[in-house]
Amino acid sequence: MRLRTLIVGLGNPILSDDGVGWRIECALRQQLSDDPSPAVDLQTVDFLHICTGGLALAELMIGYDRVIVADAIVTGQASPGTVYHFRLADLPGTLNSSNSHDTSLRLGLQMLRSCGAHVPREGDVDFIAVEAQDVWTFGESCTPAVEQGIPAAVTAVTELLAAPRQSGSGGRIDNGLQRGKR
Amino acid sequence: MTRIAIDPITRLEGHGKIEIFLDDAGEVENCYFQVPELRGFEVFCLGRPAEEMPRLTSRICGVCPEAHLMAAAKALDALYHVEPPPAAKKLRELLYSAFFVTDHTTHFYALGGPDFVVGPDAPAAERNILGVIAKVGLEIGGQVIAARKRSHHVIEMIGGRAIHPVSALPGGMSHPITEEQRLEIIDLARQNVEFGQFSIDLFGQMVLQNQEYVDLITSQAYTQRTYYMGLVDANNRVNFYDGVVRVVDPMGVEFASYMPDEYTQHIAEHVEPWTYLKFPYLRKVGWKGFVDGKDSGVYCATPLSRLNAADGMATPLAQAEYERMYETLGGKPIHHTLATHWARLVELLYAAERMLELAEDPEVASPNVRTLPDRKPTEGVGIVEAPRGTLTHHYFTDEKGILVEVNLIVGTTNNHAPIFMSIKRAAEGLIHRGIVNDGILNRIEMAFRSYDPCLSCATHSLPGQMPLEVIVRDCTGAITHHLSQYVAPELLDQEG
Repeated sequence: MRLRTLIVGLGNPILSDDGVGWRIECALRQQLSDDPSPAVDLQTVDFLHICTGGLALAELMIGYDRVIVADAIVTGQASPGTVYHFRLADLPGTLNSSNSHDTSLRLGLQMLRSCGAHVPREGDVDFIAVEAQDVWTFGESCTPAVEQGIPAAVTAVTELLAAPRQSGSGGRIDNGLQRGKR
Repeated sequence: MTRIAIDPITRLEGHGKIEIFLDDAGEVENCYFQVPELRGFEVFCLGRPAEEMPRLTSRICGVCPEAHLMAAAKALDALYHVEPPPAAKKLRELLYSAFFVTDHTTHFYALGGPDFVVGPDAPAAERNILGVIAKVGLEIGGQVIAARKRSHHVIEMIGGRAIHPVSALPGGMSHPITEEQRLEIIDLARQNVEFGQFSIDLFGQMVLQNQEYVDLITSQAYTQRTYYMGLVDANNRVNFYDGVVRVVDPMGVEFASYMPDEYTQHIAEHVEPWTYLKFPYLRKVGWKGFVDGKDSGVYCATPLSRLNAADGMATPLAQAEYERMYETLGGKPIHHTLATHWARLVELLYAAERMLELAEDPEVASPNVRTLPDRKPTEGVGIVEAPRGTLTHHYFTDEKGILVEVNLIVGTTNNHAPIFMSIKRAAEGLIHRGIVNDGILNRIEMAFRSYDPCLSCATHSLPGQMPLEVIVRDCTGAITHHLSQYVAPELLDQEG
């Protein structure tokens, strides 16, 4: 049986850098459509951009074996546009993965799993997150620095897609795709 | 002076903060509740075609986009001077009722309920939906998931999408539903009614049969006497989608009843220098500070407020539960903020019954769901009840329908002053001689949580994570106690 993968672009598309997850997902989908990668079986991959979190986000993962979420993050510890790779287990909290009105994504997935739903294991939920500069101003575009991080984020998602289920706990990916620990 | 900070840190909204100051004797002297504000939503809207507002404003919020969709659609109806066909109004209310079922379900089982089902003194790591499942049984989790799935399916059928629906337009809806879909919704609504009854029975078993919890709900730490607001129908029954705004005074006597376009005659907004968020109050009573009582213009707009402001529920099962609630807690109005959880479940049952009523009406499947606007747009106000309070959208356009002014009063904003006062009252009632522990801090959080506040939305933002960081400082300012929930370790106050 072929494993099913979901790519989620997460964020608010009208809140400046918070919309970077959507931009990454759209760019990736376009890239794979224009230039299919032999390492990626598009028949097994679904794409989604969404603005929600918590249990609702977890419910969208039902039926998938693996999920890669592209999102914005504010750590304040790196320059805007810096790309990170996290697993759900070591997720420090992206901008959107939780919901103030229900649960965290992690708790939502645990609940669904305990009730018998088929959701990905924690080790099979990856986050590619871009350090944001402005998530406070309504606007339909990202700041220039974050815009520059999008290609590296697309590459990072593509690499994960092509070589799924790699071990390791993730870390910061410089825009030159040089992996380093936070 | 000792400072206690309860920090709701959100990754998306930025940083909200509750600070409690103790006097030298360790008693609560003052309290501040601050939230940040996102910039430029009104500016972002200006210059855009008004018909974009249902889709645009629903993007403010990832939790209740349906509420913004409905308020925006109603504001556009008024703006374009157009009356939607009956089937369109019913479809909107049907979608909206399904939304209330899922929203109230989620709040009770994931957020508010764990305090009672698992216990207010249970470790924070257990006070969540998994804790509820562990206490009540695995079946409960399946029921919650199924209820959400049913309602999301209905929202998708009518709204085009399960999350961020898009089908409401000025003058009606973009598409009708089929007779087959109507029959399917009847079946789903019946299941929701059963689930609503199950949930309220569970509340009765887990909460009302525990005298300690009843004492907690009725304690002075969670009691304040304000005015109450809610939309009511022609019979003064609760309605989430349409009607007049009714306000009752702290004795339960009708104080005002007004149409949406009259809201500026009744509501004014107070500004404090220490917070970005405004404090709405009743203009005709006036702002008297953060005090309750009949002389204070502070009002509350929550599920409990809606029930207090109405004469009853429009559906039979919810009406019976409404009567039981008021009989149990001593009559109307109820001033115990923790009773909001019970009121929310009465509303859940009403929403499910209303779903069923609307779906059983053959007209809801009528193909006539749109009246095309043919008059020049001017100004429009739309009001609905969002799960967290009365939601107002007010737009002005030029004659081409381009937005020139926008004003929103979102659900939680109504409750800004009551939330602030509830936190302070709970802190005053629970913190003495400087003694603070995790149980006390959680009980203070419970005062905050009963409102299910959407600070993100209240500041025109998108909701994300709203964990609480609780910091206790001694008189030197040093941290003596630290409690956090949903906060990433690297974000915790490093002094702790």
